[in-house]
Amino acid sequence: MSRGNPTSSSLTPTDDALIAAIRSGDERALAHLYRLHWPMVSHFVLQNSGSEDDAQDVYQEGVMVFYEKVRDGSLELSCQIKTYLYAVCRRLWLKRLTSKSRFGVRLLDDEEHGPYLNTGAEEDVLAAEEQDRRFATMSEALNHLGEPCRSLLEGFYLHDKSMQDLTAEFGYTNADNAKNQKYKCLVRLKKLFFTHYKEEPI
Amino acid sequence: MMTEADYYALFEAYSHGELAGSARASLEARLAADPDFALRYADFNELTGTLRAYRQRQQTRAQLRGIHAAMLAAEAPAEAPVAEKTSPLTHSVNPMLRISRTERKLREFWNGHRATVGVAASVAVMAVFATLLGLDIWRSSKVQAPASIQWMRREINNLKQNQRAINRTIRRIDGTAVVPPINNGKFGGTGFALTSEGYLVTSYHVIKEADSLLVEGRDRQRYRAEPVYSDKAHDLAILRITDKRFTGFGRLPYTFKAGQADLGERVFTLGYPREDVVYGEGSLSARSGFEGDTAAYQISIPVNPGNSGGPLLDAQGNLIGVINARQNDLEGTSFATKSSYLVRLVDSLRNTQPATPYRLPKSNQLTGAARPQQLKKLQDYVFVVKVFEN
Repeated sequence: MSRGNPTSSSLTPTDDALIAAIRSGDERALAHLYRLHWPMVSHFVLQNSGSEDDAQDVYQEGVMVFYEKVRDGSLELSCQIKTYLYAVCRRLWLKRLTSKSRFGVRLLDDEEHGPYLNTGAEEDVLAAEEQDRRFATMSEALNHLGEPCRSLLEGFYLHDKSMQDLTAEFGYTNADNAKNQKYKCLVRLKKLFFTHYKEEPI
Repeated sequence: MMTEADYYALFEAYSHGELAGSARASLEARLAADPDFALRYADFNELTGTLRAYRQRQQTRAQLRGIHAAMLAAEAPAEAPVAEKTSPLTHSVNPMLRISRTERKLREFWNGHRATVGVAASVAVMAVFATLLGLDIWRSSKVQAPASIQWMRREINNLKQNQRAINRTIRRIDGTAVVPPINNGKFGGTGFALTSEGYLVTSYHVIKEADSLLVEGRDRQRYRAEPVYSDKAHDLAILRITDKRFTGFGRLPYTFKAGQADLGERVFTLGYPREDVVYGEGSLSARSGFEGDTAAYQISIPVNPGNSGGPLLDAQGNLIGVINARQNDLEGTSFATKSSYLVRLVDSLRNTQPATPYRLPKSNQLTGAARPQQLKKLQDYVFVVKVFEN
């Protein structure tokens, strides 16, 4: 461990192994990572006037950012996972605090987590927020779509049902009919989604 | 003409790699040639991509929630071993404090409301102290009001003394004449002649801390005097002039009334509230003094510090009292000791075989005279009493 040498920003072998395991879809590795850094983040949030639930929310958001980047293969770590997670969660929590506080916010940092700046967390959090906005718009568009389009698309794309199942479920005469219906629904969803998504610039 | 839905069918087949070679080639050619068509394809990809990512996100979220729940469940029975035996990938783990559920709730509350609680507490403390202070001030202002009198002796102005001292110093530096320092006394009051042999009357409180006394008449003649008798209860003091130069006052123009004066009688006084003699006039407004003191009258003469010990006479020139105090919170409320007590005091002193006998004046020269004439006769028998303390 780099405890004795806090300026070290290289990945430790265990970090590498962990990332590789997560990328290969090892759920146990993700669980291990999650458990490993939870005390740090929960301590941080609790120390900065957050509750246990706040800590859980923030930490899950943070792990999500990390996890999605690992799955994409777009993660470029210049520091330990621990530091990266700390920076991401810190950023997320700061954002929440400022949004609900009328006063300026000053965070109490744990010194031992070292240089949390320049970890690339800032951009990653921004990207994640953009992604969040996209998903929120999508969820909104799906809600506005109306039945049966919504159930059909959710069944196919979100719940991974096969076209045959959906045909039976919605009472179409054959799979082609169902498919045609799906495409029509997609077109409507597209209109809803893009109008909403582009109406709300950041 | 193909509808948009048809295109979507085409795109889906293409992205799943289900298109036959020729159809695939024509689609790719069209994508390259027609920017509108390419945009449509991009939109399709973004839409389905977002849908898939959205699904991914929901799954991950559920997964993390599951992990968290599992972690909490594992923690509950035994926290410590979990960290140690999880897997070979172990990092150093931050020690997890074992805290009870209530304590955790309390800690959360404290962390969330620390600043607010602090501010509230300090406001409360300040409010408590402000209230106490306010109550105290209110109470003291209430208590002080009803009962207090002020003795009418005068504190000699320090400023004036200092100024004189400076003048003296300057004169000394000039080398003209070395004047022995004159101590002007600390307190001043008024006194008046009791007998022609040199007995004087003043208020006890004027002379109570005296080391030495000086009486000074209208003609600036100064005599040394000593207290002969003090009556604390009635605030009376009898002085005797001890100076060798003193030869006697001559016949006193007023007499001492042994009985009580009547309510509403016009009364007047002479006194020394300042360097010059001051006349004051009013009525006898009550036959009892401060807080029902039957040994005193209440009179409506405005008196000031320095008036203490002054004679109180009625219109016929009978001495009926000795001025001594005024009430602080009431306007025009002054008090004077009744002359009957003075007469009784003199009677009792006669029996003690004094060095000089007490012979109270028998005839009144003021009766019937106009006030200015009365005052002209009277003022030679009224003195400043100066009190020295070391």
